[in-house]
Amino acid sequence: MIDTSLLVQFLLMLLAISVAIVAPARYRALLTGPVVSAIGIAGVVTGWAAVTGQHGSLPVPITIPLGAVTFAPSALGGYFMLVIGAVGAICGIYAIGYVHGPAASRTSWIALAVFVTAMEFVPAAADVVAFLLAWELMAVTSAILVVTEHAQRPAVKTAALWYVAMTQLSFFLVLIGLGILSAGAGSTQFAVFRATHWDAATANLAFVLLVLGFGAKSGIVPLHVWLPRAHPEAPSHVSALMSAAMVKLGIYGAILTSTQFLRADTMWWGVLLLALGTVSAVYGILQASVTSDLKRLLAFSTTENVGLMFLALGAASMLRANGINAVADSAIAACLFLVIAHAAFKTTLFLGAGSILRASGQRDLDLLGGLGSRMPVTSIAFGLAALGAAALPLTAGFVSEWVLLQSLIHGAGATNRILAITMPIAVGAVALTAGLALMTFVKAYGIAFLARPRSEGTSRAKESPISMRIAMLLGAAIVIAMGLTPGLTAHAIALAAGISSVKATGPLTIDLSGVAATLNPGQLLALALVLVLPVVATAAVVARKRPRRAVDLAWGCGGNRLSPRMQYTATSYAEPLSRIFDDSLRPERDVIVTHSTEARYLVDRIQYRQRLSDVFDSRLYTPIISFVERIGASARRLQNGKIHFYLAYSFVAFLVVLVVMSL
Amino acid sequence: MTDALFAQLIGTCSAAMLLSAVLLVWRRAQAAALPLISLQGLALAGLVAVLGLKQHSPELLGVAVLVLAFKAVVLPLVLVRSSRGERGGAPLINTATSLIAMAALTAIAYAVSAPMASLGTGPTIQAIPVGIALVLYGFLLLVTGRHAIVQLVGFLVIDNGTSTVAFLSSGGVPIIVELGVVLDVLLVILILYVLTGRIRSEFGATDLDDLTELRD
Repeated sequence: MIDTSLLVQFLLMLLAISVAIVAPARYRALLTGPVVSAIGIAGVVTGWAAVTGQHGSLPVPITIPLGAVTFAPSALGGYFMLVIGAVGAICGIYAIGYVHGPAASRTSWIALAVFVTAMEFVPAAADVVAFLLAWELMAVTSAILVVTEHAQRPAVKTAALWYVAMTQLSFFLVLIGLGILSAGAGSTQFAVFRATHWDAATANLAFVLLVLGFGAKSGIVPLHVWLPRAHPEAPSHVSALMSAAMVKLGIYGAILTSTQFLRADTMWWGVLLLALGTVSAVYGILQASVTSDLKRLLAFSTTENVGLMFLALGAASMLRANGINAVADSAIAACLFLVIAHAAFKTTLFLGAGSILRASGQRDLDLLGGLGSRMPVTSIAFGLAALGAAALPLTAGFVSEWVLLQSLIHGAGATNRILAITMPIAVGAVALTAGLALMTFVKAYGIAFLARPRSEGTSRAKESPISMRIAMLLGAAIVIAMGLTPGLTAHAIALAAGISSVKATGPLTIDLSGVAATLNPGQLLALALVLVLPVVATAAVVARKRPRRAVDLAWGCGGNRLSPRMQYTATSYAEPLSRIFDDSLRPERDVIVTHSTEARYLVDRIQYRQRLSDVFDSRLYTPIISFVERIGASARRLQNGKIHFYLAYSFVAFLVVLVVMSL
Repeated sequence: MTDALFAQLIGTCSAAMLLSAVLLVWRRAQAAALPLISLQGLALAGLVAVLGLKQHSPELLGVAVLVLAFKAVVLPLVLVRSSRGERGGAPLINTATSLIAMAALTAIAYAVSAPMASLGTGPTIQAIPVGIALVLYGFLLLVTGRHAIVQLVGFLVIDNGTSTVAFLSSGGVPIIVELGVVLDVLLVILILYVLTGRIRSEFGATDLDDLTELRD
């Protein structure tokens, strides 16, 4: 069945391409969008079949002598296909109403269809060649999609350049890493990798290369620099796909490397993963909490979540190295929980951001506001997803962080000294991250949707078309559904990762037998109702007894002209945070005070400007880039435009080859 | 044909090719270049004919006729047409330096063809360095020639060199292969001929030093 459905996905991709080419511009979105969505649904079906243990393979006949090219998803690959397919299906629906201008062009639609298909084929790959082919196809099409609006905004070009550079770096590292493994195993088949016993040097080298390569794709610090650039500049459905689906393939690669290929039993591998994850999580959410660009905020929040996934994976490696397998299994489960939860809420958040951007033309939180009454559906969907991103109870985010914390806390009691030190630190980092995430999403939702509009465009905002509303509500519904019935997800994860200590005792309950903990959101909900209902009832009764309030203008410091400028802004909300973390964020602040012309003691106006830069940009990438540019400038001397020199270069090269060959 | 005569004839033909190439580099005048390239084609045809007679192969004799027709007659004629009205220009390096460079290149050619000696013994294998030397001379002409015509001549010398190596190392090539190669070369020469004409009508001369904008 799997071979057929893989083929169906490929054929659907061809169908989407031909529909995009043939359909007239007016109906292009209406006709192509559902096909892209169907590719996603086919991915979900294939993924579920693979998770439930069905086998099947799609060998691709090629003439290049690279070895076999076969797509045959494992249970783990099937899980990622499932996640990616769902995101693709939702984004396909959303794009019908969302695309306009260059994003509605033939090129963009074709790239979108190929991008979704390529992402589904990456986890289906059963050998190195198939994996790299799908991986590079995914990278190229995503780059085309990022650069879509380059004619409108010059920032897009820079962002695309950063993205392409980082994505090629990632491909390069993954290529070398997998090459080393292939040489060591004497085969390009993943099945052979799984059975090979590696010698330490090969394993260590391949591990570092692959973790950095996959880390660059998933946006781990310090290789995260493309995320806050590419995500804001890409069209929003593309941002959603990249952030919720593509980034997960980096995680897939890391899980594949550490638990299946190399079967990491080395302590320092776990420590490396955990350290990368912790730094990414804290740094990502810190940057997200102080930025006022909505999509940049979401991009940094992706770095945070990816950091948590790496942290979980690292914890699992460390625990397994110490033989604490049951807890290690629940850490792996936490990583997979985070994957699906993040995919759900980040899709919805990016789609919501796209809806805001489309309606108001703004993505700067300081210019938004009051969208709650103007765009109720977007507001509900974004709000529910923000609850998920803040990991509040009854959402998918809560379940995943609960599983993560359970495994970290139960890992802390180990006798190994390194474990005993790192696990509590990791718990602290997760707690700090969760707290900052709460602040961040209170800011994102509160400033954008509540109070009064802060700009002209925002006050004229209208609710988005039906297809976008359906897609956003679907995403939000999944966030809540997974939060209420974690048992279903736990069942899929237990199958995908092949672990027995995490199981579902019914659709509502998740049971971590390895750490003796259970979670039932139903009981949580009941408890909340028991506590809240009497309060609400009492309040209602008391309110009825009181006479009706007279509604008048709010108090305005003696003045009665309240303007939107008097509200809290995103910058002012985050100001205390940026002060607390001044040393690590290093914001540039200008305060310009203009005095009145009549008297020095009277102030006419005060201008406050704050620029936040990424420390890794200025300290790490700027020196590297200027160094490369210097080398490039000196290399330009070779290219002097004289044909005789060019001929002489090839002559000398020819002579050198001749001499070397004869030696 | 006795072995001694065969060796003598192979030696004579190779020497004629080498000599004509040396003279080409030495005498940069257009008028001298054309008979010399024709002579080189003649020598190559002679070489193939000798091989054909030795092996009693009518096909190889056919190849010899083909080589004679194209390399000694057709291509030089095309060159004559394209170089009409051109003055011979001074090369980038002077004649003495060119000759010293050629001596060095000949030494390199002998040095690097040592691995080919393992192909066998006999006069044909011993003459292989001549072919490689021709290729290197052709490259030298390309690098130092100031005019588009000299580039064409250099290109032809490189082609003659590769053909020589092919004939000597494998004892002849099938006629169909040689036909393909020759037609290819003819095509390239015709394209370059048109290109030269365009350069001349655009800039008034074919001095390549004027073309220095070949970069971004």
